[in-house]
Amino acid sequence: MLKKITILILFSLLAGCSQSSNDSNANQPSGSAETAGSSSSGNIFAGENLNYIVTTNAGGGYDAYARLIGRYLVKKLGGDNVVINNIPGGGHIVGTNTLWKSKADGLTIGTVNAGLIYNQLIGVKTLQFDISKFSWIGKAAGEPRSLVISEDCQVQSMEELLASVEVIKLASAGVGSASYLDTKLLAEAFDLNVDIIPGFEGNEGEMSMMRGEVCGQFGTTSSVQPFVDSGYGHFILTVGGEVEGVPNAMEFVSTDKARRIVSLIGALSELGRVTAAPPGTDPEVMERLREAYTATLNDPEFLAEAEKMKLPIDAASGDTVDQLVMAAMNQPQETIDIIADSVRVE
Amino acid sequence: MDLGPIFQALMNVIGSPYNMGMLLLAVPIGMFFGAIPGLGGKLGIVMMIPFVFGMDPIAGAIFLISMHAVVHTGGSVPSILFGVPGTGADAATVVDGLPMTRNGEAGRAMGASLGASGVGGVIGGLFLICILPVLRPVILAFSPAEFFMLAIFGITFIAMLSGNSLVKGLLVGFFGLMLSFVSLDPNTGAERYTFGLLFLWDGMDIITVILAMFAIPEMIALGVEGGSMSLAGKQKGTAGYKGVFTGLLDVFRHWGLTLRTSIMGAFIGMIPGLGGDAATWICYGHAIQSSKNPEKFGKGAVEGVIAPETANNSKEGGSLLPTLFFAVPGSSGMAILLGAFVMLGIQPGPAMALTGMDIVWTLIWALMIANIVAVFFFIAFVPMLGYLSYVRGSLLIPFVLALTFLGAFLGHRSWENLIVLFVLGGFAYFLKKYGWPRPPFVIGIILGPIAEDSYHKAFQLWGYEFLLRPGALIMIALIIGSVGFYIWKSTRPKKEGVVEYVG
Repeated sequence: MLKKITILILFSLLAGCSQSSNDSNANQPSGSAETAGSSSSGNIFAGENLNYIVTTNAGGGYDAYARLIGRYLVKKLGGDNVVINNIPGGGHIVGTNTLWKSKADGLTIGTVNAGLIYNQLIGVKTLQFDISKFSWIGKAAGEPRSLVISEDCQVQSMEELLASVEVIKLASAGVGSASYLDTKLLAEAFDLNVDIIPGFEGNEGEMSMMRGEVCGQFGTTSSVQPFVDSGYGHFILTVGGEVEGVPNAMEFVSTDKARRIVSLIGALSELGRVTAAPPGTDPEVMERLREAYTATLNDPEFLAEAEKMKLPIDAASGDTVDQLVMAAMNQPQETIDIIADSVRVE
Repeated sequence: MDLGPIFQALMNVIGSPYNMGMLLLAVPIGMFFGAIPGLGGKLGIVMMIPFVFGMDPIAGAIFLISMHAVVHTGGSVPSILFGVPGTGADAATVVDGLPMTRNGEAGRAMGASLGASGVGGVIGGLFLICILPVLRPVILAFSPAEFFMLAIFGITFIAMLSGNSLVKGLLVGFFGLMLSFVSLDPNTGAERYTFGLLFLWDGMDIITVILAMFAIPEMIALGVEGGSMSLAGKQKGTAGYKGVFTGLLDVFRHWGLTLRTSIMGAFIGMIPGLGGDAATWICYGHAIQSSKNPEKFGKGAVEGVIAPETANNSKEGGSLLPTLFFAVPGSSGMAILLGAFVMLGIQPGPAMALTGMDIVWTLIWALMIANIVAVFFFIAFVPMLGYLSYVRGSLLIPFVLALTFLGAFLGHRSWENLIVLFVLGGFAYFLKKYGWPRPPFVIGIILGPIAEDSYHKAFQLWGYEFLLRPGALIMIALIIGSVGFYIWKSTRPKKEGVVEYVG
């Protein structure tokens, strides 16, 4: 009997341990919100965890940026730890909805995919947020897009792609995602003879190129750079940034429609990796978050680490992000119609 | 192959007190995360990320991989003793592990599981070393068409896990498939059976569902029936070292099965897109198919513990390879590990084969050594844990239920999962009470999303011609052969009910 009791005590201790480790590491610091809000005189971040929502699974570019920035940001704010909260799903929508609904106490912030501007422009019903009303903290880097083509593809340059009579398969993430819309819009702008295969998340598209199923993909330059560096493919077009030896999409523009579309993709590329707090966050708290964010992105130690992790940094303030979002949201009906047609699944 | 770097990597692990210390520290932590239902390796890595932050990349990676490697060694304990699996992969061990406990063979079951885990981990690691030179063509040979057919192959195992009534098995299996469709449509982003509830957007939390299907019914039944998990008297039991060693020897007695399921586990784990959880179920199905006495399964066959347990540990090694070489995680745990590697400054991806082979070898060695260390570490505790099967239900139930609720909540940290746990758990109790098999449900919910996603991709890439691809044709032949063989075997004169799940 004594043995049984000892064993049960052991088990209960194990349970207790797991509970406490949960409290300190993986939980949303929601319960502490009242305390944070009420201590207006002191530092509201002191003794608190910063909850950083990332709208993708762990391992992607958004995740890497958030983990690196979050670690420095929480120190500069005087908080305890940063808790990275990966909420993937629905092409960033689930996580962004969560950020929108989170308590606006400054203790919860999150990455926002600029591509969601597309979804809002065409009034996607699953969006529970208004992207123009987020409290923008800042931008870590622009996210230029490039069209990468595998070495085995039958077309090897933009000129060949434009002239291709054969249908070229391009991989993208799920229908409605920014990756899908970018690709669809690019095809629309240049009247490309392509078939877009959706559903390839993360680096799955690269793997599909290696298998020879798809020819290429149009996505963020940085995420596909290691694939190109390893000699499996090369860029044939870039938008919203410069890649040495690769032509910019504007060089191929010949119609107004194409110009408008390329400009829109360029605007979203410029927005890139942005971070926001829920709407209605106290201006004083926002001020602190923006200052700490800017200080983080100018910290030499941070920059060295970012370079080591191959994460380009090209910072901009929350105000700039706000203006960029407003400008991108201001599109003529004609452009909106083009986007709406793009997501209409046959 | 130049063997120098391979052994240099081994020295990196065992020759450095710091690295070896990290490994020794990681093993008990990993087993702890595995042994508590609902925690698992994925959450383990998430919780340990702050600990390894800023650490030397190699030491940090050794810590994380060692911890993740032995999660399932610990995970077998609640599955065998209480019928409470911590993850979808551990659930396969319940099917025969729990009946063994019921028969008073908890010690033997845990010995077998421990031996199988250790051997699986090591053979899995050796298999990886052998396959590395041809890794790229092998992994790239599997396209969405093959993923789809493999998922269908797994789904056919519902028949084998259906017990006496195929109809009941199919109904439960399809219920699992149906629940797997609750989510945002992966291709269109549209809401599907989510009833406007945000927490369902990511689909049903697999941990919650597994706990509801197994933990809740077992505990209700124990409460209703009274007594302890073991129905056999203590004097008959083999909870002590004797039982454990019998179980360890069983692993070598069935060496053919051990070897096959270790390699199968590593291989299936290696194919990204199929997911590691499928590996254990496919290996369990293989154990039934290849057995001379398939009717023993579900009633406490030790092979039914050996097969999923070898696969459980070898698949982790397998899923490490696509994670490192393609930056495409082979399992949900590896997806988190991928993020952790990036943070440590290790950049998985195609460049790894050119510049990072020393890291790859080091991690494979760490994986194997951790599996061996886990066996010796655990062997000291196993007999003591075996006695838990004789603890009275009234003392046991509160502890197990508390852990179950914790596990369900922690997965997505949403209280709504507790409601799912209650509702589905109540439903599962009636399934158990009226003799409906529950394992087909797990197959449905695990393989449903894989089948759906790969079907969409395969169809869009090739139309229905994807069924005529050489790989797909081989899989179709495999499915027909496996189903045909099973029907032939079960209709032979010896037939005496097929597989019965007594849970």
